[in-house]
Amino acid sequence: MLILLKGGRIVDPVNNRDGIGDLWIEDGRIVAPPAGRQPDQIHDVTGKIVMAGAIDIHSHIAGGNVNTARLLLPELHRADAPLQKVLPLASAKWSTFETGVRYAAMGFTTVIEPALAPHQALQGHLELSDVPILDKGALTILGNDDFLLSLLREGEKPGAIADYVAATLAATNGLGLKTINAGGATSFKYNVRAFGLDDAVPFYGTTSRKILEALQQAVDDLKIPHPLHLHANNLGIPGNVSTALATIEAARGKPLHLAHLQFYCYGDEGDHGFSSGAAAVAAAVNAAPNVTVDVGQSMFRQTVTISSDVLRQFNAVGQARPKKSVIFDADAEGGGVVPYHYRETEFANAVQWACGLELFLLIDDPWRVFFTTDHPNGAPFTTYPEVFALLMSREARAEAAARLPQAALAVTTLPSIAREYTLNEIAIMTRAAPAKLLGLKDRGHLGEGGLADVAVYSPDKDIAKMFGAAHLVFKDGDLVVRDGTVTHYRWGKTLKVNPGYDKAMDRRLSGYYDHHFGVSHNMFAVPEHILPRPDPFQEVECAQ
Amino acid sequence: MTEAQIDGRPASLDAAAQRAAEILSRARLPIVAGLGTDIAGARASIALAERIRGAYDHLESDKIFTDLDVMRQAGRFVTTPNEARLRADVLLFIGKDLTKIWPQLLERLAPAAVPEFDLAHATRKLVWIAPGRAAAQVDGLDVTTIDSNDPHVALASLRARVADRPVNSGKGAKRKIDEIAQILKGARFGVAVWGPELLDSLAIEMLYGLLADLNKTTRFSGLPLGADSNAGGVLQASGWMTGFPMRTSFGRGFPEHDTWRFDAARLVDSGEADAALWISAYGREVPRWKKQIPLIALVPSQVKFDHEPQVRVEVGGPGVDHDSAEFAREVGAIVARRASLPSDAPSVSSVIDRIAQHIGGEA
Ligand SMILES: [Zn+2]
Repeated sequence: MLILLKGGRIVDPVNNRDGIGDLWIEDGRIVAPPAGRQPDQIHDVTGKIVMAGAIDIHSHIAGGNVNTARLLLPELHRADAPLQKVLPLASAKWSTFETGVRYAAMGFTTVIEPALAPHQALQGHLELSDVPILDKGALTILGNDDFLLSLLREGEKPGAIADYVAATLAATNGLGLKTINAGGATSFKYNVRAFGLDDAVPFYGTTSRKILEALQQAVDDLKIPHPLHLHANNLGIPGNVSTALATIEAARGKPLHLAHLQFYCYGDEGDHGFSSGAAAVAAAVNAAPNVTVDVGQSMFRQTVTISSDVLRQFNAVGQARPKKSVIFDADAEGGGVVPYHYRETEFANAVQWACGLELFLLIDDPWRVFFTTDHPNGAPFTTYPEVFALLMSREARAEAAARLPQAALAVTTLPSIAREYTLNEIAIMTRAAPAKLLGLKDRGHLGEGGLADVAVYSPDKDIAKMFGAAHLVFKDGDLVVRDGTVTHYRWGKTLKVNPGYDKAMDRRLSGYYDHHFGVSHNMFAVPEHILPRPDPFQEVECAQ
Repeated sequence: MTEAQIDGRPASLDAAAQRAAEILSRARLPIVAGLGTDIAGARASIALAERIRGAYDHLESDKIFTDLDVMRQAGRFVTTPNEARLRADVLLFIGKDLTKIWPQLLERLAPAAVPEFDLAHATRKLVWIAPGRAAAQVDGLDVTTIDSNDPHVALASLRARVADRPVNSGKGAKRKIDEIAQILKGARFGVAVWGPELLDSLAIEMLYGLLADLNKTTRFSGLPLGADSNAGGVLQASGWMTGFPMRTSFGRGFPEHDTWRFDAARLVDSGEADAALWISAYGREVPRWKKQIPLIALVPSQVKFDHEPQVRVEVGGPGVDHDSAEFAREVGAIVARRASLPSDAPSVSSVIDRIAQHIGGEA
């Protein structure tokens, strides 16, 4: 079927397009205007804004820890009415089904789950399989696993580490590699209560910095498109701005992605011993072109923090709102689920909110700062439209800031910042740059041959309204959303890489698992045929 | 050849599915119960429950909610069998039923083996509260035991002594409690192991309190053994599909969860539920309700019912007749299992898909 989107404002930074024009779609792809052919379907999008489908690089939408949060907090997601349009299980709040529906309604077409624990990978993929409409991907976590730590202790060559990383990505069907407070969860099992970049993991002797360097090297050796995705040490601790700065230096000029950086921008100045260090961190990011970051913006409301950084979550248990939490000393990584309510009246929460916005606004290059709330840690993804409004309107920021403790704003630079994001910059940050960062050449743009993942918005003075309910959304050329309402389900792919490796590593892992765990290494694999829908994966190429 | 029956007489699978669809569509409040099935079966069952606006429950729900109710009230603190095996220098077993619940427990945790990841690499200590005669099964290790009829009382005394608070008990008993409190406080990474039958919610909450106190100075985590018939896996699938555990109803067109209201046996015996789909692919369990209502059963061959179900389909065993995904107690995660004796016996999910096809409506 030949589809024409006629007369919209096409915002496509990859192809340097920002102007009125037509967009043609056929067989799920964007095509050149076909000479002499009539479209089968015309959508008049005069006065509308046409962008590629948005891509979220870091959102906790699936896996054991997310599911634990669902089960821990039934009071946060009680449904009270069926959805108007009844799609299977879409009325179930916070279900995988509702997740796909809500993302699609906002014009998102690809979402990455950033924390797939290798020993729980099958559940992660089962959950992703039940997210409708979207394409998905998952970042596999290493860095607290005993096998890697033992390789480092024995001083094994980078080749062995790369083989192990590749074998684990293959078994877990990961799109990239994540490390979470590298060494911290394992150290916590040895009763360590604080763990920094140069602290050594008991029993193994290796430091967080060495783990980070080894994994960064492995990603580079394997030519995996996405750089090592790092959840750094000391998350959430006053004064951790020094950790952020040291970690940027620790990258040594090599590619590194720093996740939810907002949580690492805290100074310890002022009467409260809590202040924003975001300006210094933003300056360091601006000066380090090898580094990309996502923000992890917080918003004022009830949410729940879900993290494999079990040490951090254990230390946060006292701040749980409501007062209950789950701490999981899992294999390798851990898990912690701690509900939290960010309040406008709370000094620290106001500083955190400002820190995130400062990062967005003070990092100059929209290709290197990514749009996240670290869903649901800073805020649920459903708050994205409000965050877009804050970025695009100084007035909206001033209005929101007026409700906060002014003493909190005084320890930030936010009130002095005038910048407003343009639509083109929003399109870079949420479409073009994420595709580039993940190595997804087929999306994030509206050029010929690209996937016909397209979001059409109705401009509105109320920016949140505009981004909250897309006028039209196409996934693979299939019109799935009209005026913010999903019309039907379709099932997307899960994106994965498949770097080659020396299969001797499989035998070595079998031996290690038999000896230590007393169970087969194969037990943790994700066989494709056990997932509910046929042909669930799409491979993303590693560079040659 | 698939074995299916309608009113006790042989029928084709398709005829059985069609009859099942008629019964379920006609009901005011149908229930999907038992749910002893793999992840694929659970997914199909929950999707069907929504479509027929029914409620769903699992045959082991009571055990699941013993732990889950505590979590939803106060939280939880847990670890995995692998960590217990490789790291725990102290194991705290509670109850005489542990090896009955999980016959491979001792083989899997290998208490007599030195924990490889323990810094001191020392012989483990095993404390067993209320072991009955089970402690005698542990070879190669001295076991410190306390006999107790009431694990809650034993745990309360231990918690008090760990926190250096006084307890009211005889001198001998107090000496024992003190000895064990010292073992627990001296652990580097201890793991408490319990089952959901001998411990009630109050005892488990007390145990988590003890773990919280111990974690002020050292490391101690928990390992609840859970329940059979893939209750753990069905719980997870239910969580991501509806946000809620089993005992959830779609009667009003959206999921509502209530452990009392949507208990399958209560719904049937109170007359609220008027048709049931019973699923038990792992074993020969039959419904516990008393009242007779139209019943469709997806069960292994030769399961005996008090009253013959209107529709019966013999299904294969997950991981036996067909490959499956299910919760594996030995690793505390959902894993894929290869069929050990592949056969043509239909899976629960394939039978439910057939039933759903006859119900029509939007999918
Ligand atoms: Zn995150």
